[in-house]
Amino acid sequence: MGELLRRLNYLLHRRQHDRELEAEMLFHREMMGKQHTRHFGNTLALREHAREAWGWTWIERLLQDLTYALRILRRSPGFTFTAVLVLTIGIGVNIAAFSLFDMVALKPLPLRDPASLVQLQRRSPTRTTTELPLPQIEFYRDHARTLSAVIAIMGVPPVTLDDDPQPAHLTFVSPNYFTEIGVQPALGRLLNPTLDGTLTAPPVVVLTSTFWKQRLNADPAIIGRVLHLNGKAVTVAGVIPSSFISLGNNSADLWMPIPQQPYLVEGSKLLTDPGAGSSRMFARLAPGTTARAAEQELLTLTAQMRTLYPNDVWDNQFILSLPAGHPQIMLPDVIQVEAMISVLMLLILAVACANLGGLLLARGITREHEIGIRIAIGASKQRILRQLFTESLVLALLGSLAGLIVSIVALRILLVLTDAPPSFTAIPDWRILAFAFSIAFLAAIFFGLTPALQIARQKHRKPIARQVLVTAQVAASCVLLIVAGLLVRAMHHTLYNSPGFEYQSVVSVDPQLGQHGYKPTAAGLYLAQLEARLRAQPGVLSVALVKFPPMGHTVARTGTEIQGKHLTIYPNTVDPDYFRTMNMPLLLGRNFLPGEQHVTIISESLARRINHGESPIGKPVPTDDPVTGQQDIVIGVVGNARINALGDTDATEQYWPAGPNDMPYISLVVKAAGPASSLSPAIKSISQSLDPKLFPEIRSLESLFDEQVKVVERLAAAVSLIGLVALLLAGIGIIGLVAYTASQRAKEIAIRLALGAARIQILRTILSQFALPVALGILTGIALAATASTGLRRALYGISNLDPTSYAAATLLLVLILLIATVLPARRALRVDIAKALHND
Amino acid sequence: MPKNGMPTGALILLILRVLRSSSLHGYAIAQRIHILSSEILHVEEGVLYPALQKMLLKGWVTSEWGISETNRKVRFYSLTAAGRHQLEAQQSDYDRVTEAIQTILRTA
Repeated sequence: MGELLRRLNYLLHRRQHDRELEAEMLFHREMMGKQHTRHFGNTLALREHAREAWGWTWIERLLQDLTYALRILRRSPGFTFTAVLVLTIGIGVNIAAFSLFDMVALKPLPLRDPASLVQLQRRSPTRTTTELPLPQIEFYRDHARTLSAVIAIMGVPPVTLDDDPQPAHLTFVSPNYFTEIGVQPALGRLLNPTLDGTLTAPPVVVLTSTFWKQRLNADPAIIGRVLHLNGKAVTVAGVIPSSFISLGNNSADLWMPIPQQPYLVEGSKLLTDPGAGSSRMFARLAPGTTARAAEQELLTLTAQMRTLYPNDVWDNQFILSLPAGHPQIMLPDVIQVEAMISVLMLLILAVACANLGGLLLARGITREHEIGIRIAIGASKQRILRQLFTESLVLALLGSLAGLIVSIVALRILLVLTDAPPSFTAIPDWRILAFAFSIAFLAAIFFGLTPALQIARQKHRKPIARQVLVTAQVAASCVLLIVAGLLVRAMHHTLYNSPGFEYQSVVSVDPQLGQHGYKPTAAGLYLAQLEARLRAQPGVLSVALVKFPPMGHTVARTGTEIQGKHLTIYPNTVDPDYFRTMNMPLLLGRNFLPGEQHVTIISESLARRINHGESPIGKPVPTDDPVTGQQDIVIGVVGNARINALGDTDATEQYWPAGPNDMPYISLVVKAAGPASSLSPAIKSISQSLDPKLFPEIRSLESLFDEQVKVVERLAAAVSLIGLVALLLAGIGIIGLVAYTASQRAKEIAIRLALGAARIQILRTILSQFALPVALGILTGIALAATASTGLRRALYGISNLDPTSYAAATLLLVLILLIATVLPARRALRVDIAKALHND
Repeated sequence: MPKNGMPTGALILLILRVLRSSSLHGYAIAQRIHILSSEILHVEEGVLYPALQKMLLKGWVTSEWGISETNRKVRFYSLTAAGRHQLEAQQSDYDRVTEAIQTILRTA
């Protein structure tokens, strides 16, 4: 400790110490001079050597290097500007991407003790779901000791509020929800287990601030006011503060306690049905428990629960826990996307660095003179290297600072555009600052170290290093462009290829019969009446029954092995009118007959995958899984329809006829002659007259489709932007290099021109040294992209990762830009004033 | 850098030793070592001052400004308690090592 204090004391008074040492050594020298005059060394060096004992010389040298670097950079503003610009782009996109990641995946939610919150998913080796049956959640809650609290969240279809035509979004939560995550009311009270924990408690609802302000005009007397949700009276208990961010990204406006669910959804058995998955399960780990220990205990509890509900616990069911204290819960596919984005961003950084490296190398030639002098007066190579690297570091830090500012601005714009909750801010936290600093350092090493080494060794005349950098830069740009091209092509494919079904004038109607306790016979009767009434309606072209309506809330998907190949099938249950209503062509065989069972219709894509050229009709769908009992026979093949996987053109579909037992879970699709939305009032009034308890959810397929397209379009725009940035960087880099080379050879060019050489010939000589590295770079880029894009297979719907159009387009574009970037500066060099160039020097 | 064969460890031991009885300035330290070694050891300023700076850092010596025999302001070094302790430790280390070397030279 004493030593550290003495060291710091020295640092603070180092000028005084230095003066003292100087005086002392001068005295020594004088005394010595009387006797003999040998061994007179460099006093400055001797003093510096003595000072080194205190271990602070590095700071002095750093300060020296920094002052010098700043002076040098100020003296060549053109170079400094280009370098900082390139780095701002390269580092800025990385900081922006990291800031986004930090915002959704690293920053804890503003809730009480977010680190101990987990989401629990129900899994088995073959099945996975986030929604568990409530009785199972309650069993786990009552018996688990590793969980200090369990929260259930049940999402339900939108409800009607009084006579407002706009739907309202309601979520049921366990009454401990708000107390457990530590949210205080803005007005009134929020839910709590004592007041809202029982079925007989008076029905209450709490509102988000936004909903209260926008839909209820910020009514100051809101507490105690009675609202009618789906016609049921509920009392407003409180308002949630506007800063609230929900657990697990739930954007509901209205929050009610789960025990009130049967009151609102009359006849519902969800609270007691141990087989009906309905609610997402969150929990708080007990103090000192790990997520692993909790998973272990829940596995033991699952075995005990099996004796209680033998039919409703899956084979090999287990519970997976995921950290839930961040806005984004890190599922494996989310991680995969993040990894892909980081690779793309780092590639941009690599392009920027290769770019700048080339510029620095070229600059090394002009600085030859200066560096030569410094070496001549005794600077060591190490010192020169350190000096050059400090310059790079200053550039990188400037670029990083500018990148940080750009990323903050971009993020702010994004947050405003997406209407993000107020607790999301663009202000960088320590992680982002640390990231910005580290990436600046990394970039300085990438772009600065090789040129610094070359220059310090005075070897920069050899063009090989520059050519390697050109190759690297062209290769990385090429990969970025190809990947961007592939993604954009895939998105266009999903956007502008027909999804295979009619969506323009169709609405889906979900009466939610099962949720209201309808039994199969009653449900069948209800549906038959509804169908008949709808058909009689003017403007209705056709009506059909379907279990999973297009773009619905639920998607069924099964994975199976057929002839050793994994296949994803989207199953559905429909009635014979379905294919006609959805405009799906029957390609082979026949349609279902009314009341027919044990038959199946498959999509063309499935037929192609299972029977190579043979007709699949009259046979069962082959499977590698062990077959039990009678297999359903294929009677027909219909056109592909990416009903529930709009983006996935590899999707295959299989249809079964709807039987009596399916009826409680059936929706309707209705095709109108005119705009589909015009049917809504008629459907509502028919439903009211059939059963006033029911509030069917009516959704226009066209608007659902448009919503999905919008998301895809936004993604395509983002990806195109990345490709554009890559192209821009590549262009800037090559222009700089060629201009530089040309200016270096100005005298040679002038002489050749004076001797009467053709301009085109000279142009060829200048450019020939770039031809090989560019060609090599493009080839490497294509090879890299072909290898790397196999990892993209899942994101590339409908096109191969070796899609020739994307590769050709990307390569052509790159070659074109590079050609412009080389010819422009080279042409300028040819317009040299011969006399002036030859008189120089 | 003028360095003449003497290892820094040994130099520090010698400086500690000559400072044990009285405080001296840098030049006097070099002189004392030179004379006491029957004019065999030369301590150059290139090694003396780095060693003294290191000893100041370690807290083995302190320095004070005084007036030299030639009436000049100069820095005098004197041993601290830690310095005395260090001297004992180094001295016994040195004795042990030289004894061991002597044994080998005599017997091997």
